[in-house]
Amino acid sequence: MSNPDPSLLQKAIDLMQSSGAEYAEARYHSLKRTTILMINGVVMGVEVSAQSGIATRAIVNGGLGFSSATRITSEDVRDAALRAVSAAKTSSRGVRHGVQMGPGRLGNARYSVLERRKLEDTPLDSKISYLSEIYKVLELEKNGFKVSNTTVIYSETIEEKILLTSDGAFIESRVPRVAVMYNLAATYEDKRANRFGEVGASGGYELLDSFNLQKRISDDIESLYTALVKARSPPRGRMDVVLSPEIVGLMVHESAGHPSEADRVLGREAAQAGMSFRTTYKEDRIGSDAVTVVDDPTIPGSFGFYLYDDEGVAARERILYNHGMLAELLHNRETAAVYGVESNGAARAMDYKSEPIVRMANTYMKPGTYSFEELIEDIKQGIYMKKYMEWNIDDIRWGQRYVALEAYVIENGEIKDPVTNVALEVTTKQLYSSIDAVGKDLVFYAGLCGKGEPPQGVPVWMGGPHVRLRGVTIQ
Amino acid sequence: MSDLRVLAEQIANRVKSKTDEYIVKLSLVKDLMVKYARGEISVTQSWKTLRLELYVAKNGRIAVSSFESENPENLVEKACSVLDFLKPSPFYAPLPEPSGEPLSYVDRNIVDIVESGDASKQVEEINAAEAGDVAGKVEFGHTATTLLGSNGADLYYEATSFNGYLRVFRGESSGQWSWTSTSYDPSLARRAIDTASHLADTCSKLPKKQVKPGKYRVLLSPMVAANLVEHIVSAASAGSIVFGISFFAGKKPGEKVLSEKLTILDKPRDTSLPFFRGFDDEGVATHDKPVIENGILKTLLHNSKTAKVMNAKTTGNAGWIMPHPFNIEVLPGDNSLDELVEQLRDGIYITNNWYTRFQNHVEGVFSTVSRDAVIVYEGGKPAYCTERIRIADKMPRLFSSVEALGKELWQIEWWEVSHPTRIPHILLSEANISLPR
Repeated sequence: MSNPDPSLLQKAIDLMQSSGAEYAEARYHSLKRTTILMINGVVMGVEVSAQSGIATRAIVNGGLGFSSATRITSEDVRDAALRAVSAAKTSSRGVRHGVQMGPGRLGNARYSVLERRKLEDTPLDSKISYLSEIYKVLELEKNGFKVSNTTVIYSETIEEKILLTSDGAFIESRVPRVAVMYNLAATYEDKRANRFGEVGASGGYELLDSFNLQKRISDDIESLYTALVKARSPPRGRMDVVLSPEIVGLMVHESAGHPSEADRVLGREAAQAGMSFRTTYKEDRIGSDAVTVVDDPTIPGSFGFYLYDDEGVAARERILYNHGMLAELLHNRETAAVYGVESNGAARAMDYKSEPIVRMANTYMKPGTYSFEELIEDIKQGIYMKKYMEWNIDDIRWGQRYVALEAYVIENGEIKDPVTNVALEVTTKQLYSSIDAVGKDLVFYAGLCGKGEPPQGVPVWMGGPHVRLRGVTIQ
Repeated sequence: MSDLRVLAEQIANRVKSKTDEYIVKLSLVKDLMVKYARGEISVTQSWKTLRLELYVAKNGRIAVSSFESENPENLVEKACSVLDFLKPSPFYAPLPEPSGEPLSYVDRNIVDIVESGDASKQVEEINAAEAGDVAGKVEFGHTATTLLGSNGADLYYEATSFNGYLRVFRGESSGQWSWTSTSYDPSLARRAIDTASHLADTCSKLPKKQVKPGKYRVLLSPMVAANLVEHIVSAASAGSIVFGISFFAGKKPGEKVLSEKLTILDKPRDTSLPFFRGFDDEGVATHDKPVIENGILKTLLHNSKTAKVMNAKTTGNAGWIMPHPFNIEVLPGDNSLDELVEQLRDGIYITNNWYTRFQNHVEGVFSTVSRDAVIVYEGGKPAYCTERIRIADKMPRLFSSVEALGKELWQIEWWEVSHPTRIPHILLSEANISLPR
C-alpha cells in the first residue's frame, strides 16, 4: 500500500488551524511487521500485520488534543482533525498553565535506513530455515539438565512516517528493524530457571548474520546449566562487585535514562510510569567522576535509531550524567517550553494511535580505560554479576534491584566459583557513587521500553562497559 | 446489516478459497481519554480504530494476522500466502463448533460522550473535587465486533466501558485508586479521588520511617491484589503451561495450590465489567468458572489448540494462540477494612504497586515494588508510613498465606491491571519484604 500524499496531511493542519488551533501537527505512520513464533524447533505460527493511519495533534487555548484514525480518506482525515481540535477544547477546560510548543531545530528532510538485503524480498522460508537451523544445533540436555522449553520469536518491522507541523517541519522517514527474542526454560533435579534474551537493530536481513544467535542462545543455555547445576548460594554482605555490560545497560536505562525524562520530572507521567528523583533531588552530583551516561538516537544501525523525532526536531546525543554530575534532561517541545530550552529531539510515538512523548533511544555508559582483568585484579572478595534474570525499580527511579542468574565469586583478583540468585538492591546514588572504574569495552542490548497511556513500547538500545562497584551490599 | 458485517463478509469471501478454515474478527473501536497531570488536563485523546484480526488454516498449517489500515480487505491475500511456507503445526486442531451467542451491553451515555468528544460533565466533576495535585486518566470506550468463521460462527457484540485511575499528592505523600465499569457513573471517579485522597492524607499526617527487610504480615489493597491475582490467572492459562512460563506447570486440576480461603473466578458473562463476552475468538460460548476454588486449581483456561495438546476440552477462552481470562473476580470474605486492619495488628498495608517481575516463572519467584501510601501498623494502629518497599517472594507461597479477605469488592483496572478485576482487600500472614541496603 502506498503512503499518502503529504498534501492530505497539510489539509488536516489547515483545517485544525482554521478551527482555532494555535499549533497543529499531522503524522502518517505505518508499521508493517512479520513475526515468526517457534517453540521447541517447531514453527507455531507466522503473523503478518500492518498498521497504518493518521495521528493529529492540536493546541487550543493551551489545551492539547490528540486523535487518530485508521482510515485516511479525505473524510476520515477531516474527522480526525476536527476530533483533535475538539479534544484540545476539552483539555482547555481543565488547564491552568497550558501547553506550548517550545523551540527546536525543525527539519525539512527525508531519510531512510538502508537494507543491504531487503526484508520484503527475502522469502519467508529462508527466515524459517534460519531459525530451524539454530535450534538443531543447540545442546538441550546433559547430565540430567534439560532445556524443557525453547521459544524463539523473530520480528521484522518496516516503519514509515510522514510528519508535518503547522510551524514548518516536514519529515519523511523509513526505518526497517529486525529483532529476535527468546525464552529458555530449564530444569535440573527439582530446580527450574528461565532466561530471556533479545537482540535487535535497524537495517535489513543482513543483520541476522551479525546477531550471532546460535552462540548467544548456546551461551545462555550454558548460563542456565551453570546456575542450576554448578552454582551455589552467593556470599552475602558488603563487598566489591563487577557488573557486566548487560547489567550496566539495563541499569543506565532504568536509573539514568528514565529519571532524566523531563515529562517524568514534571509529573506528566505521575500516575503511570511514575516520576523522577530529579524532581526533588537537591544535589548536583549523583555518581562518581567515572560515570558518564548518554542517550543518542543517531547511532547508525541502532535499534532506537532516528534522525528527527516525531515533532520534527533534529536528534542529537544527550549527556544525562556527566562525570557523575546530573546534566541534560530528555525533552520534547512541550517540556522544552516549560524549561525555557530548545528541545533535544526526544519525542517518539509508537504508532499512529500514539501521541509523541519523551522517550529514550540508545542509552549507554561511556567506556573508560580498564580491561576486565584490571577491574578484578585487586578485588579480594567480591562478585561478578554476568547475566540477570529479574529486575525492577521504583516509580521515582531511586530504589532498584537486579538479580543475577549467572554470577561468580571473585577471590584475590580471580574469577572463582559460580553462584546464582545474587541480588543487588541499591539506591541510584549508592549505585553510581560506588563505581570507581569503568571498562574500555562497550556492548549494546536491545529492548522495548514501555511508557505512556495507552502504553507505548518503542525500540531502544541500552549498553555499557564492565564497571566496578566498591563496597555495595549483596543480599 | 451493519457496515462492519458487510466488510467482514467481503473479507471472508476473499479468504474462503485459499484456506480450509478461517475466522474473521473485525472491530471498530472508539475511545476518548482525558489524562490528568499536576492537577490539570495534560491531554485529551480520541481514537477511531478499525482492526481486522484473521485466523487461517490449511492442511494443518496455522497463521494469524492483524491489520489496521485503510483497506484491510486488500491485505488478506498476503496473510493467506504465508500458509504455503509453513509445516503442519503440532498444535493444530480443527475449529470447534460455534456455540457462542451475542452478548452486548451498551450504555448510551458513554456512546454519546465518545461520539461527541465532550467529556465536560466528567471534567467538571473532577474539578469540583478540588483534590489539588491529581494525575491519572478517565477513559470512555465503545467497541463493536463481528466474528465470522468457516465453522459457521456468525456473531456480534457491542460493549461500552468507563474506567480510569487517579493519583492524589499531598506533599511527599500520595494515594492512588482506580475503577472500571460498563456503565457511566460520574461518581466513580469522585470515589476514586476520595479514596486516593484519604490514603495520601493518612500518610501525610504520619511520621516517615523505613522498615527493615524481613517477613511481615501484609494487607494488600484491591489495587495490589488485582495485580498479583492477574499473574495467578495468567499462570492458569494452558498456554502459559505449554510455553513453559507457568508456576502451575506439573499441577493438575484438583490439586491444592493456594490458600483454601482463596477463590478466583473467570467471569466472561458478567456484563458489569468491560471484558464480558458471549463467545471467544473461536466462536465458542463462554461461561463463568472458578479458576481457583478454595485454594484448589479448578480450571486451566483452554482454546481448542491447548485442549488438544493437553487432552482436555476448550473452556471458551480463545485467544487463537494463547488462552486468556476475561473479567476476573475474587470472592469476598466477611471482614470490614477496619476488621482487617485490626487483624493485621503489626504489619504493613500496601495500597499500590507496580513493576511486578518474575526471576523464575516456573517457580513463581518474583518481586514487585510498592508505590503511593504504605502504612505500617503497630498494635492495630497506624504508626508510620514507609515508602517503596518490595514484596520479594514466591507467588504460590505468598497466596498460600491468605488469612482473611475483605467483604467489600472493588472493580479495578489500570496500568498494572489489564483485566477488569473485582476484588477485596487480602490479608496475608507472611510476605518477604526487601528494600535497598
